[in-house]
Amino acid sequence: MSDQQSDYRSGPVVWAVVLAATCLLLYLFEKVLWLVVPFILALIIYYLLLPIKSRLVLAGFSHDAATGVASSGAFIALLLGASLLLPGVLAEASSWQESASRYVEGGLNFLTATLLHLEQRFSLLAHAHLSSQLAGQMAAINDDFAGKYLPGIAMTIAAWAPSLLLAPFLAFFMLRDGWRFKRFLGQAVPNAFFERTLYLLDQVDRTGRLYFLGLMQLTVLDTLCLAGGLWLLGVSGPLLLGLLTAVLAWIPYVGSILGCVLVVLVAATDFPGDPAVAYGAVALFVIVRLLDDFIFMPLTIGRSLKMHPLLTVLMIFAGGAVAGVPGLMLVLPVLGVMMVLGETIGLVVTDPRLRARHAYAQRLRRRAVTRDLKG
Amino acid sequence: MFGFMRGKPEATGTHPLGKSALLSGLRASELKIVEGFLHHRHYLPGEVVFDQGEEGQALYIVLSGRVVICQQGQVDRPIAELGAGAFFGELALLDDSPRSAQARAGDPTELAVLFRGDFERLMEAHAQLASRIAIQLARHLAQRLRNMVSLVPVEAKCQ
Repeated sequence: MSDQQSDYRSGPVVWAVVLAATCLLLYLFEKVLWLVVPFILALIIYYLLLPIKSRLVLAGFSHDAATGVASSGAFIALLLGASLLLPGVLAEASSWQESASRYVEGGLNFLTATLLHLEQRFSLLAHAHLSSQLAGQMAAINDDFAGKYLPGIAMTIAAWAPSLLLAPFLAFFMLRDGWRFKRFLGQAVPNAFFERTLYLLDQVDRTGRLYFLGLMQLTVLDTLCLAGGLWLLGVSGPLLLGLLTAVLAWIPYVGSILGCVLVVLVAATDFPGDPAVAYGAVALFVIVRLLDDFIFMPLTIGRSLKMHPLLTVLMIFAGGAVAGVPGLMLVLPVLGVMMVLGETIGLVVTDPRLRARHAYAQRLRRRAVTRDLKG
Repeated sequence: MFGFMRGKPEATGTHPLGKSALLSGLRASELKIVEGFLHHRHYLPGEVVFDQGEEGQALYIVLSGRVVICQQGQVDRPIAELGAGAFFGELALLDDSPRSAQARAGDPTELAVLFRGDFERLMEAHAQLASRIAIQLARHLAQRLRNMVSLVPVEAKCQ
């Protein structure tokens, strides 16, 4: 049996099922996104608080009490942080609209200036009147923005707020009952398949944990690199800008483009007469993305998922096609978990010795419970 | 300050796991941590716990009953019989090597199972605690080595 186990490689059927199940799950997740997003946030909180809970249990607290103390501590820290930051944020809130308009205007001016420069160089572009068309369209969007888009944005925020409150609630129960749930799942598995199934649960847990921890590490590395580069360029708020851009990069491709636009907007507004700074910001962004794709990501997330690069790229496109932006964000962790599930279930189902042991154990149990019923 | 939230103090000896040779050196609070990582399984007499040659993923502690260790299928010629407090399958915690013998329940048996992945997590989160278990494990393996050496004929030792 060991030979069969060590030689086992997932075949095309298992792979087809894994890929189809990933796409189906992404499709379903998009339908219940109000639950998926808080669940992911809860997982992040869970993995952050789990070491604290473990320390408390080791210090002599019961599992329930340790969960209570760790959760209360995190909640109090959050309240303290909010109470320290909120006055400053509220004081600045009135100037947000003004700042946003200023940055959008700065970005548009930069774009128009760049297009004008290109039109002067290439007659084909000059005939197309791109700069004037762009200016006209952006002016129309600016005029209609408050009436057309703001109510929609406000409604989306109002609809999402209650479901996001689910995140700490879910995280608390993951911390308190997660180990019990794992044991409960284990109890449902017959003895013959127990070790294999434990291995499966462990791999799923490990994949999830490494993915989220890798994502956090990647965000810190991206933030530091971008903040350092923007600080050298002299752009205002480099740390905040770096953090925002790094968080946006959680969405493959789309997030990176949004992050780049954000950086260029700020650079173009801070230095209206010096387009070189905006070009420098774009160059910095491209360098950080390259570092991210070829060094940071393989060292953090890539190590946890162990996927072929071609499969990764294809599945990102498939995720986007099936479930839009949420699909882009969720496709890699979902595929990682489905790969582990598929490979392990394939291994258990195709092992005749495990099936025979299970059948034998069932016969023993039947004999034990019917012993006094014969004759 | 939060003493009222702590569990009741418990002597190591009274904890069912404290009776195991592997975990006998641990304090009650440490046993509680280890207990969080363990799974409990029940086996009927004759039921296979694991096969010889199978890739090992877990260590087993006998909580009650009896386990027979034998060559694959040779239940009538057991290598060892283990009762409550004993443990087996310990090599699985160290590497991916195949099981060296078959384990079957001799009586209705309850086992506590420590999975290798959980043991690695225990080492990451509670290095001191895991090192105590590792020392017990090393002692156990050393004892087995001594037993094996004592069985080798004197002439073979001299060579």
